[in-house]
Amino acid sequence: MIYKVSRWLGLTIFSLLIIIPTAIVVLGTFKTDLEIYDSPMALPLNWTLDNYRRLLDDGEILTNFKNSIFVTSLSVLITLILASMVSFAIARMMNVTGKVLFVLFSLGLAIPGQVNIIPIYLLFNDLGLTNTYHGLIAVNVVATLPISVFILTSFFKEIPNEMYEVASIDGATHFKVYRSIALPLSKPALGATSIFLFVICWNDLLFPLLLITESAKKTLPLALLDYRGEYATSFSMIFTAVLVASIPMVIMYLAMQKSFVAGLTAGAVKG
Amino acid sequence: MKTKGSNSFSVRRISAAAAIAFALVATLLPSATAAGEVFGKACKEEGANTGTSSTSLVCKEDSKGKLTWQRVRLGSAYGAPVAALRAPKGSIEFHHWRGAEDGKVFDQIIALFEERNPGAKIKQVTMPSGDYTNLGYSKIRTNNKAAVFATFRGSQFVQFAKGDMMTNLSAERFTRQNVIATGLTAGQYEGKQLGIPLHYLFNNPVYNTEIFAKEKWDLPKNFTGLLAWCKTAKSAGYTPLAWSGGFRPNAGQMLNSMLMNSAPDYATLQKRIEDIDTGKADLQSAWFKDMAGRYKKMADAGCFPENATGVTDAAAINLFATGKSPVIPTGSFQMGAIKTVNPAMTGKMQLFSLITTDEKPQYVGIQNNTFILSVNKNASATDQKIARAFISFMVTGEIASIYANGTSQHVNVLNATYTNQDLVNTSVWQSKKTLLAPRFLWLNQGVRDLMEDALIAIVGGKPIDATLEDYSKQIKQKLG
Amino acid sequence: MSLPALSLYVFLFLVPVLNNLRYALTKWDGIEEPVFVGLDNFKKLATDDDLATKVLGNNIEFMFWVVIFQTGFALLFATYLVRNTRTTLFFRTLFFFPTILSSVSVAMIWLFLYDPNYGAINTTFKKIGLDSFALNWLGSEDSALYAIIFVQVWFHTGQMMVIYIAGLQQIPAELYEAANVDGASRWQQFKSVTWPMALPTSAVVVAYTTIQSFRAFDLVYATTQGGPNNETSILTTMIFQTAFNEFRFGYAASQSIIMVIMIFLITGLQKRILRTRY
Repeated sequence: MIYKVSRWLGLTIFSLLIIIPTAIVVLGTFKTDLEIYDSPMALPLNWTLDNYRRLLDDGEILTNFKNSIFVTSLSVLITLILASMVSFAIARMMNVTGKVLFVLFSLGLAIPGQVNIIPIYLLFNDLGLTNTYHGLIAVNVVATLPISVFILTSFFKEIPNEMYEVASIDGATHFKVYRSIALPLSKPALGATSIFLFVICWNDLLFPLLLITESAKKTLPLALLDYRGEYATSFSMIFTAVLVASIPMVIMYLAMQKSFVAGLTAGAVKG
Repeated sequence: MKTKGSNSFSVRRISAAAAIAFALVATLLPSATAAGEVFGKACKEEGANTGTSSTSLVCKEDSKGKLTWQRVRLGSAYGAPVAALRAPKGSIEFHHWRGAEDGKVFDQIIALFEERNPGAKIKQVTMPSGDYTNLGYSKIRTNNKAAVFATFRGSQFVQFAKGDMMTNLSAERFTRQNVIATGLTAGQYEGKQLGIPLHYLFNNPVYNTEIFAKEKWDLPKNFTGLLAWCKTAKSAGYTPLAWSGGFRPNAGQMLNSMLMNSAPDYATLQKRIEDIDTGKADLQSAWFKDMAGRYKKMADAGCFPENATGVTDAAAINLFATGKSPVIPTGSFQMGAIKTVNPAMTGKMQLFSLITTDEKPQYVGIQNNTFILSVNKNASATDQKIARAFISFMVTGEIASIYANGTSQHVNVLNATYTNQDLVNTSVWQSKKTLLAPRFLWLNQGVRDLMEDALIAIVGGKPIDATLEDYSKQIKQKLG
Repeated sequence: MSLPALSLYVFLFLVPVLNNLRYALTKWDGIEEPVFVGLDNFKKLATDDDLATKVLGNNIEFMFWVVIFQTGFALLFATYLVRNTRTTLFFRTLFFFPTILSSVSVAMIWLFLYDPNYGAINTTFKKIGLDSFALNWLGSEDSALYAIIFVQVWFHTGQMMVIYIAGLQQIPAELYEAANVDGASRWQQFKSVTWPMALPTSAVVVAYTTIQSFRAFDLVYATTQGGPNNETSILTTMIFQTAFNEFRFGYAASQSIIMVIMIFLITGLQKRILRTRY
């Protein structure tokens, strides 16, 4: 009995903690600032699309949207390619080199990328890579490589050795084995990892903040900070921007829940 | 007719001399407007005006110290303003922090610039102000395409000056002839004019004229009056000052008013601030303690909002814009944001003198000249030319007016015509005894932040002595 | 095959780590030539920087409470939702939802909710007559850090819960059946079966949460930027501030080094406590 009551109580409270703020944001996008302050949880008096109109008229958010998609997809794609190659090599090389490689990349798991903001920033300044997409993508890739290598290595190790050996006997090169055997077999793992990486890159603030200054090149989280500008603060606009920035993730999440959960937990479990 | 003509002439001559100090010329309005509102005739409420057109009248102090109806128009001390320079072909970047607020207006201005200078292209690159303070220098230093950029008055400007990043604009005609002379100081470093401050802001509180009229309140004239008014306003159900203790950059704006009458003269004030800034003196200095005590007295009198230290900039604006608070102690720069929240505030805002002394105040308000436009020394010669042309373009009356009215900002430019009601209402302040915002005399951002945090903590209820001791120690460690 | 990844990784991770060490021994404003000062930065950090000490304390406090609450709630909800039914699936989907949002979005939402005079939290408290609960959440030194801890827990509990569910579902049903036969209460079942069997998962969750709380830069930067009175500053925000606001690159680098050492110490300690490797 106590268990049942506590269960429903706990679940209800936490549900409300998530539903209410979400409702405030969603409803807030249809309200004026004054209304948001006066009655945050009420339905809007007059449903207005003004906030959306203003946001879209500004045009910036669509640009930021495109930037986020571009930077995130490329970062994820490159990370996946590079990480899967390394992981394959590590999984196949059970010798010292493999172990050293593994330890090297594990180091990146223990040391968060934040530690490197100063040297990275100074280096990119020297190379003229600030304010460039390839600079940001390179940083994203390096920041997510260790965790990806970790997840994928453990996956490749699970593939039975015989499968590789058959191919090797046929005289296939390492790369061929990787491409024609390892990759197809690890599709689910790659999928899960890619979602994990996608969420990380899409939501990251630190590196864009550090490297990107041009408004035309800003990604969504960075652009969201703009709306908290010093001189003009409007929560109706902030909420609208938050909603628009989150929509792709929400849609993806609802459509591919299972892979989402798998991906975001694989990152943790394997890591 | 004859008397009016000569009258106008003499006013013009007196003002020409005064222009070096205020760069203000009151000129004759050819005909009278509505009943009682006649050029030269006495008026009651300073800042009252007859409208927003170029022929409107404004009630302001004349040379004899009497309030009369006049037309306020800015003129030059050195000669008529010059036209914009021509720009060569090429493309440059314009870096600044007011993308969210001014981005649109700059798009419009840049389009005009590009239309009149075929082949010249300017791209805006912006960051929010906080990030611009943090990262602006490092980013612009490494980007030669950033040929024209803006800096904050004070530490950031000095940082760029020390880094030898800005060309000298002293000899430019537009510097001498297009800009309000007193507004140029902020762009000077070691005697060189390294930038042109575009903004002419008033960083003293803004008040809601409607509430003051409705409640029949007089504007407080001294510190005792201020404390009494806070109590009156509070008991009438208002939050007297919509102060955003939860957002340091804006909370610190009030510091300007708190400082303005705190020293016997400007030199002393400057010296005191420099001493704290460099570690020669700390927050436990008698004068600072006295000022902190005034914050405390104001807090005790109920001047600040409930939970003042958690009031964000948005909440403060909202308090003021919805009439829950009659005064917002930040500055004219927020009038635009206030009107965005509540358009009905248009025309109901006027500047408020926050006097913290019971003696005769030396200053009645704060001016600030910031958004300093400079040419990047590391840019190529052609790019520098485009940059210079752009700055000269910005300081023409025509373009400055577009900027001012589009952004609700007073500009530091002669011959700007304000059509924006709230700018007209407050433009009379461009001729008052105002002090260049002393807050920005702190050049060390880390020290200034800690100093302001100490004052915020005191308003939040922390004991004065212990707080000042604690923060003095932190400042010492930061400087060490 | 590992060359492309390796070279990028060396160039943009390992070399910067070493450079950090190099910068940490200098006094440098990022403009003029760096001046070699030996271990002075570390000496100052250890003996003459109350702010750094405070921030380190904040970071540990932040991590400690987040680890306790996030792990606790995640495990609690996981035991509630371990079976696969329509209802549990619904709750899991809901609880996991905040995880997919960006820290900046989360920060914006809570900035509004926490507003002392307008925020939904305080207006609700005042409406139901609980005025004394209406705190100055992010504005007061007493509550600000806890307010952010709450958001962090709100943000990531769902993710950790899902990890736990995966772990709990692997516990053989026979163990529970055996316990049932013995007539064990739910609490006893939890103590004798769930907890020990979930220990490896706990190790993962705790380790991940720890690293996550050192990474909370985005959340803090977008809400309080470390205020009031640096009460919510954590190591990353301090490093950012020291480097890019005060232009003390050398000093900031030495702070980064301290952060790495902290992380190693804490994760090492956790491994010992949970006596398992992950």
